[in-house]
Amino acid sequence: MKPRDLKSRFLPALLAGTRREPLPRAGPVLGTDPHALLRALCLTGQALRFETPTAPEQIVREMWPEDVRPIIPDHLRAPILRLMNAPKCSNAAESAVAWAFASKKVRPHLFDLPRMEGFVRRQADHLGVVAQYWAQREVPAGKQNSYFDADQISEKNWTDAPSALRLKFLESLRARDAAAGRKLVAPVWARESAEVRLRLLAAMQVGLSHQDKEFLDSAAKDRAPRVKNLAKRLLARLAGTTGENPALAACLERIERTKAGLRKKRASLILQLPATVKERNANRWVIEQFAEIGLDEVACALELPLDGLIDAAEKDEYLLFAFSMMASREKKWDVLAKIAEALPDAWGRMSEAGFDEMNFADDGERNRWVQALVHPREWMPESAFPAWEWLLRRMEAQLPPPLMLHVLASKWWKKRFSGEEKPGAEEMQVFCALCPPSLRSKLRDQLQLADLEAREIGLLLLDILDGLETLT
Amino acid sequence: MAALSLKKIERIAPDQASLSAARKLVKPGVWSGLARDESGLVWGACQGSGASPYRVVISEPDAGYKCTCPSRKFPCKHSLALMWLRAEGNTPFPTDTTPEWVGEWLKRRRADEGAYDAEQGERKSSEPKSIALTATEAAEEADPKAEARAAAARERTRKDREEAIAAGLDDLDQWLADQVESGLAGFAAAAGKSCRVIAQRLVDAKAAGLAARLENLPARLYALPEAIRPLIAIEELGQLHLLAEAYRRQESLAPDLRADVRREVGWSVTRESLLADAAATRTAGTWRVAATLSEIQQDRLRRLETWLWREDARDGPRFAVLIDFVPLAVGPARSPYAIGERFTGTVVYYPSPVPLRGLLGEVSSHAQSCPDDFVLPPDGLKEAFRNYERALAAKPWLGVWPMAFRNVRVSRSGEQMFVCANDGAEGAPLLPAQADLAAPLLALECLHGLGLWNGTHLRLFLAQTSLGRWVGE
Repeated sequence: MKPRDLKSRFLPALLAGTRREPLPRAGPVLGTDPHALLRALCLTGQALRFETPTAPEQIVREMWPEDVRPIIPDHLRAPILRLMNAPKCSNAAESAVAWAFASKKVRPHLFDLPRMEGFVRRQADHLGVVAQYWAQREVPAGKQNSYFDADQISEKNWTDAPSALRLKFLESLRARDAAAGRKLVAPVWARESAEVRLRLLAAMQVGLSHQDKEFLDSAAKDRAPRVKNLAKRLLARLAGTTGENPALAACLERIERTKAGLRKKRASLILQLPATVKERNANRWVIEQFAEIGLDEVACALELPLDGLIDAAEKDEYLLFAFSMMASREKKWDVLAKIAEALPDAWGRMSEAGFDEMNFADDGERNRWVQALVHPREWMPESAFPAWEWLLRRMEAQLPPPLMLHVLASKWWKKRFSGEEKPGAEEMQVFCALCPPSLRSKLRDQLQLADLEAREIGLLLLDILDGLETLT
Repeated sequence: MAALSLKKIERIAPDQASLSAARKLVKPGVWSGLARDESGLVWGACQGSGASPYRVVISEPDAGYKCTCPSRKFPCKHSLALMWLRAEGNTPFPTDTTPEWVGEWLKRRRADEGAYDAEQGERKSSEPKSIALTATEAAEEADPKAEARAAAARERTRKDREEAIAAGLDDLDQWLADQVESGLAGFAAAAGKSCRVIAQRLVDAKAAGLAARLENLPARLYALPEAIRPLIAIEELGQLHLLAEAYRRQESLAPDLRADVRREVGWSVTRESLLADAAATRTAGTWRVAATLSEIQQDRLRRLETWLWREDARDGPRFAVLIDFVPLAVGPARSPYAIGERFTGTVVYYPSPVPLRGLLGEVSSHAQSCPDDFVLPPDGLKEAFRNYERALAAKPWLGVWPMAFRNVRVSRSGEQMFVCANDGAEGAPLLPAQADLAAPLLALECLHGLGLWNGTHLRLFLAQTSLGRWVGE
């Protein structure tokens, strides 16, 4: 009897039970003794075991994208895996490593993707197209984005890119050539969803000028109320139309203008906070109140030059904070630097209130912003972690070396290491991420004073960043 | 060259905190009496928080360690730090004679190794600890009457056990017949309780090997897709009857098969007796570590498996598995070997028609990490399954079987992944637990590898690919 016959003859009875379905006769194979039943069991079982498994008939063909980025060298793989799987690994460390991947245009090893799943999912946009594919492999087919390396995006294919990349591309194009950006958006405008239209319009704020008026006029008739409102606000920001901005009118109502001074009377501005706004919420209220107006609009409405506007507000911290936020948004670095002199904790207030409406076209802009705003000798935050972590998120890059040097040399920094409560692991990762390569050896020395946990993970992060940044 | 590397130390450390703590101790100033001997033992004293320093000894060839500190982590930070110092190679370790406390540890260690029942992981403190030690004790006692009495007692015990096993096998057959009469379509649903009862009966009958098979059967069935559970139940229960029958007829079996049957049923072979057995299969060669598996058993012992692949293609088995059983609370959590390591030595196999499990005999070069590709035979998946069938024919109760294969690819069909031959129809379902880790292999056209076939699924040990080595753990 062949194995196939054993299976076909005995299997039904073995499955159903020989009480219900007696075993068929099998001649001398089983015999007639009491063990015949068990012999059938053995033979059938062994027949099944000798079946060679075959490949399935239907195979899902996976379409992995081709990634032109080189894979990181082997010696960096283990430290990165160790960091990404460390219980204390923070978002700051993840981001810093991801940015290093992006700036060096390298990608993780394919085999490491499942071993640092969380990192890959959160930072896929920086890690190349294969990582993006990996991060989306569980997403239903209809909801997947296409896989795009930021370097590959162009005016021809930008509509296929993930939303964040598209916006970044549009912003950067607007910064270079506002008209080209507008021409790019106009043909696709009508077929985009309301949410995407809103974000595209927000991106058009970069390089906003009278040339955009026609486009904004048409957007002001959009069927989606949010798009319509934003278009109207942007129209209002165009010079000569300030009076039409209701947000500006609301703000002006709350700014009290007086004259002060003994011999020469100077303009003085005071922001009247509503009685319902408590001190702890004041900065957030300011952000919301001044979100939709520009510095020039305010100056124009108050009939003051920009410098005069800042001077006039010097006695009012909330108004200065509002102006610092507007100057950041509008990239008026000189004005921002002037405000930061009068209000050195402006960036602390921004972090506390969660201000995040900044776009930087390049590293130069980032550096000018942070150098204008942050003055470690003048002011350092009491709650170090949230403030520096916010700065890192906004910067998405390291601090300029002179600024980091000021941080490392500040009394505040030294005091952090001399007290009992030393910087924790998460905080140290933020500083490691912010530290430029030229100052890492100094930071390493100072890390020796940190608690063991903070030191270990900090050194690991610095090693990885050094390794990635020195790739050629 | 030191056998310990920082990578290896990182691997055997119980957690990151231990490594961090050890790092603080990697300073010669903290240590006194650092020395080593020619056999790879390294020792020293580390000043801890206690009044007297902790004595630490490590064994470089197999990453063994002992420290007198009260830490409940294994290895402790002191052991890790000493390994670290040694691996870095910046600290001098003068050659010295082994101090008494190191010698004592070594003696106890060897004795302990012998005292763990190699088959079942049971501690058998009453059994001889080593061949040499037994001989010495026998010479010292030299009481023929006492020896005769002991021999007679052993023989009585053996006979009693044989009778108990025979009775247990009869009960097993009866239980199997009951299951077949009731039908095996629904066996898996009630397997937990049903198997526990008969397993307990077999424990009472001193057939611990069979009992363990039955205890593990429900978990094995539940891990499988529901559709194939009845078929696997038929296979597994059929093997139990085969073993029972083979045991009853063991006198007519070839010696290797007989020894295998007896071990499967529950008779143990001590480490010393196997190493002393001149008839045991010995295979010398260059071995690579293909996989290290760690599994917690129901008896709270950790089963550590180290799978070895012999690179030279001379006669003899190509695979070997070293199995250690260590108590969960105090033993190491991982094999001291790392995947890819290479060493030269002799594996002494437990007698079997398909030798697989073994012990390390002589080791002529310590395990060193090695980035080279494994030297695999030219066979594809088809030939790998032919080898499996040959092994199955020689040993019908064969459990898992290691495979080496070339020219395969990983594919997905629905939720299940398969290792499919590029040049044939064979396709083995991949162990579902490996699905996430193996998913990147779906992107590759061709790979060569090593794996472990358990009759239903293939566990990939490692794969050699155009992107380098993938490891399945």
